[in-house]
Amino acid sequence: MEHILSILIFFPLLAGILGFIVDKESARAYGISVAAIEFLLSLWLWFSFDTNSADMQFTEFLPIIKEFGISYNVAVDGISLFIVIMSTMITLIGIISLNEEKIDNMKNMIVSLLFLEMTMVGVFVSLDAIIFYLFWELSLVPMLYIIGAWGGPTRVYAAVKFFLYTFAGSLIMLVGLLAIAYLYHLETSVWTFNLLDWYQLDLSVNLQFWLFLALFIGFAFKVPMFPFHTWLPHAHGQAPTIGSVILAAVLLKMGTYGFVRFSLPLFPDASVQMIPMVIVLSIIMIVYTAMVAFAQKDMKQVIAYSSVSHMGIIMIGVFAMNAEGLSGSIFQMLSHGMISGALFLLVGIIYERTGTKTMSKFGGLASIMPVYATIFGVMLMASVGLPLTIGFVGEFLVLLGFYEVSPIATVLAGTSIIIGSIYMLSLFKKSFFGEVTNESNRGLKDLNAREITALLPLVAIVVWLGIYPKPILKPIDNSVQKLLTDMEYKARTPEAKKSIISIKRAKEEK
Amino acid sequence: MEKLVYIALFAPFVGSLFAGLFFARSPKNIIVGVVNPALIFISWLASVALAFHVAEHGAIHVTMMDWISAGALHIPFGFVVDEVSVTMMVVVTTVSTVVHIYSNGYMDHDKSFNRFFSYLSAFVFSMMILVMSDNFAGLFIGWEGVGVCSWLLIGFWYHKKDVTPDINPAISPSYAANEAFIMNRIADLGMLVGIFLIYWNVGSLQYDVVFKELPHLEDGILVAIAIALFIGAMGKSAQFPLHTWLTDAMEGPTPVSALIHAATMVTAGVFLVIRANPLYSLDAVSDVSYFIAALGTFVAFFAASMALVNRDLKRIIAYSTLSQLGYMFAAAGLGAYWIALFHLAAHAFFKALLFLGAGNVMHAMDDELDIFKMGGLKKVMRGTYLYMGIASLALAGLPPLAGYFSKDAIIETAFNEGTYVLWFALVFTAGLTAFYSFRQVFLTFDGEERYKRFGFHPHEMYRYVLVAMSPLAILAIIAGWFQDSFHEFIIKLLPEYEMSHHTHHNAWWLGLLVLFFAVSGIIIAYKKYARKGDKAFKQDKKVESGFFYKLLMNQYYIPAFYVEFIVKPYTAISDKFWAIDKAVVDATVDFIAKVIYKTGDSSRVIQNGNLSSYLNWMGIGAVLLILASAIAVVMG
Amino acid sequence: MIGISHYLILSGLLFSIGFIGVLRRKNLLMLFFATEVMLNAVNIAFAAIGNYYGDLSGQMFAFFIIAVAASEVAVGLGLLIVLYKKYNTLDLDIISTMKG
Repeated sequence: MEHILSILIFFPLLAGILGFIVDKESARAYGISVAAIEFLLSLWLWFSFDTNSADMQFTEFLPIIKEFGISYNVAVDGISLFIVIMSTMITLIGIISLNEEKIDNMKNMIVSLLFLEMTMVGVFVSLDAIIFYLFWELSLVPMLYIIGAWGGPTRVYAAVKFFLYTFAGSLIMLVGLLAIAYLYHLETSVWTFNLLDWYQLDLSVNLQFWLFLALFIGFAFKVPMFPFHTWLPHAHGQAPTIGSVILAAVLLKMGTYGFVRFSLPLFPDASVQMIPMVIVLSIIMIVYTAMVAFAQKDMKQVIAYSSVSHMGIIMIGVFAMNAEGLSGSIFQMLSHGMISGALFLLVGIIYERTGTKTMSKFGGLASIMPVYATIFGVMLMASVGLPLTIGFVGEFLVLLGFYEVSPIATVLAGTSIIIGSIYMLSLFKKSFFGEVTNESNRGLKDLNAREITALLPLVAIVVWLGIYPKPILKPIDNSVQKLLTDMEYKARTPEAKKSIISIKRAKEEK
Repeated sequence: MEKLVYIALFAPFVGSLFAGLFFARSPKNIIVGVVNPALIFISWLASVALAFHVAEHGAIHVTMMDWISAGALHIPFGFVVDEVSVTMMVVVTTVSTVVHIYSNGYMDHDKSFNRFFSYLSAFVFSMMILVMSDNFAGLFIGWEGVGVCSWLLIGFWYHKKDVTPDINPAISPSYAANEAFIMNRIADLGMLVGIFLIYWNVGSLQYDVVFKELPHLEDGILVAIAIALFIGAMGKSAQFPLHTWLTDAMEGPTPVSALIHAATMVTAGVFLVIRANPLYSLDAVSDVSYFIAALGTFVAFFAASMALVNRDLKRIIAYSTLSQLGYMFAAAGLGAYWIALFHLAAHAFFKALLFLGAGNVMHAMDDELDIFKMGGLKKVMRGTYLYMGIASLALAGLPPLAGYFSKDAIIETAFNEGTYVLWFALVFTAGLTAFYSFRQVFLTFDGEERYKRFGFHPHEMYRYVLVAMSPLAILAIIAGWFQDSFHEFIIKLLPEYEMSHHTHHNAWWLGLLVLFFAVSGIIIAYKKYARKGDKAFKQDKKVESGFFYKLLMNQYYIPAFYVEFIVKPYTAISDKFWAIDKAVVDATVDFIAKVIYKTGDSSRVIQNGNLSSYLNWMGIGAVLLILASAIAVVMG
Repeated sequence: MIGISHYLILSGLLFSIGFIGVLRRKNLLMLFFATEVMLNAVNIAFAAIGNYYGDLSGQMFAFFIIAVAASEVAVGLGLLIVLYKKYNTLDLDIISTMKG
């Protein structure tokens, strides 16, 4: 299994192509089995991963265009490993949750999802900028199709907006990537797009600044950072449940992952320099979108906006420049994936039953659907960051780490635990508590076996990683510490050196 | 001994899971009603055994496993059983056991019987984590855990609908639950900031490491930590201005009010201050400590004043809880940590008893809460009358009941510290306390039997429930007698607090003064509210339309203020933001897209299909290119 | 003495005439003629410059162009005849089917 990563990338592609000739009736079963195999493979990746090492593992290297140093170069470290596993898991759960009766043309859906899975895995394991960019852009296509074909009334507008918005950003990112390659060529007269080679590149602070900005636009559109977030509510509003789940759980993480993989190690000085801007944008993102979430009438939009708010927490964690914050931020990516995925699934379930997502149409659902309400409650508590759920660990570490950067900003960002609980609890109260206001809701059935199968693993993970995050946190932490050490070593300006706290110095101080 | 620690901690958890098995669907399951109290009782046994062990051999420290470790941060699931935590454990499990048995009777007819026990046991588990944890993060787990359980239990009857505040000030159980949770979250942010400060300045969150390191920190940081942690304590212990949730929390079932909102959870803030006594007794933070004492005193008086006029059986007790929490903070703030803890324990017993008695009354009166619709209940509810009488006497601070010893010690402390304003406020509040608690007792149990007019048919609670309440009654009486042995036990960990010579000298008249206030409060209450026949209590319209009555009845208009100046603006701003999001942020993006689209649309004219105009354009293009290259050549 | 510049001026003038013809004429046949004029303007320039440098490749190139132009005329005129048969006109304003 030397080529486990290639298998992980191309197995869904192959299965997706074969999916065209699969019988229509058995499409879902086919999808589940493929996704399950893929998920098991990714688990195998984890078990054979050396958790004590912070280095890139399972490296595969195959030159494609030698003249320009473009090569098929994939590997995982602690940072990307779990995002890959999350991607395969969310895909599996998403496919399980698909309702045969509600989705016509299931075969196309399965094929799109499998293609999407390939691109997702591809993005997170690529170490070559061109390959990374390739997967990055390719991921837009299946998602465009999923929103555009199975979405709500204004799906085409939403899909096109999603596509063009993020595409515009990534083009600027591409320019940035090419510029880095060119600068590398200038310095060493070797063409390469290998990220690990790029890490060695020593750039002037001014150049770093502009390149950081170019990449920032690409990543920030994807995250999405304020004020580039408006494609997200549209996309979520129109996307089918499965689209929202994958979009929120995995696709958004590409942006924050990009920051960790590219911006931080390539431009340590610029990253430190840009902390104030990121803080301001992130805090606006956290507070403002959380308040917008409170104003929503539509359950799904609440969760869509809450996603933006939580991504803000991840962003400040990325720029905390210490191991606590950065590890927490990566952990928060996973936890947000699980939680928002589950919440979107839950909203999808009630939407399937009633055909509406408007909260005023519900009320008293807890009496009618107790199991549904319970699972929703667990996810809600995880979402507001209750200790012993997965949501707390990440949020706590991020805020803890960020406190070192700016106490005031941390307090402002920390208000998310207050306003987060405001919109979440008011959502819960409006929909689940009180009397049954809508008589037609009385006959609603509680969760069926298919839905429980999809949701229970998420509940289990939310609790398990809340109580015992170590198996995941430790490899992440290892890689993060290596990243920070490299950054600190590479940083040119004394301010940057001071801001970046790799673990070593923290220990010396004690 | 380690095993005992785990048994004490996890028995309630097992109970919660066990009841959870029968969760949503199945109707009342009597096994749950037996197993859960039994498990809590086991936890109590373990706690008592641990108490004896600690008294003899000192603290036990266990580390179960790692929780979070990232960077230099290492947080284990560690538990420490020392004098302070074991006191809390015994108090919590004692009250919990009684409340669990009591709930069997109280929740008898409720369709969510099993769910109730699941939540209640989960609460006990969280509370045990809170008191037993050996680090601040673990404390925070329990802190949030009890918050969630409180949310679940206040909103236990979630199916009730919202009503306007003039019918029910709490609007609905689910509303009250959300209010409690959100208000606590505000305070939790303060607590989190405190934790961050500790981590970045000490490098650890373990109590022992932190407390050892504290004297080496800068004064400013110490003050910041002290303030931040106290903000956390203010939320949980419902201190002003975060107090409004506690009275609304009375929407929960009465056993919940007894356990969570009187005896245990709300005292968590006091516990935190006691736990962090090495911090609060530092000279650098003496101002913060004094502020704690002053705020506590203020809340003691402030809450008592609101209790004077309230007509709601449970709310009166809730206010008295608030008031007593104020006393505890006053003691803790003045440095008399062991007295605060002593009052905490004593208060837990008699206040839980008081609430459970109120629960009996509610059970008898079909959930009626207006004490003016009761009266003369002592004939039908002798046992409950006795219990509530004892509890109220203890609360009023009459010797030889528990409240006398603990409260008197607090008042004496205030005198001893020379803070005479605080001292007098506390003495005066003691009089108010006696008045309102006996106003309630007399209105409920004595005087004219007004309930008959409203067609109630009260009946006494089940006998086994009354028996189950007896331990609390006994403790409410005798707890104070163990002041000296408790003192001896606890000062191994908490700082000693001695009264000065001067205070000793004056102790006799100080005590008499307090007693005088208390007794006169009771007498006034008796005169006013216990009359029968023609002289039976009549509502005084003149007083009720007075300014002060209205002010107190409306809780100083603070809830209304919060609604008007926080809730409504928040909603309005949120709506505004949403409008901005659509009309500005999103519209800008769409505008850019539209500009591009329009440009394309208007330049489409070029593609008119006419070869001749194409050639013209080509010609223009060629000329432009030539020009451009010419310029490039000229420019060099 | 007629020097290189005279040839080039002639060539430029012819080219401009052709260019203006391409831009202004509406009749396809006339456009065709105009392009032929431009080609021949280039031919003159090639031949003259080739002669000036004493390099034969310029003149060779002129021959190539003549050959290409001839074949182009053959094909183009054929197409024009077909077009004329179809539309009964060669006016570009009337045959404009490539509307975007």
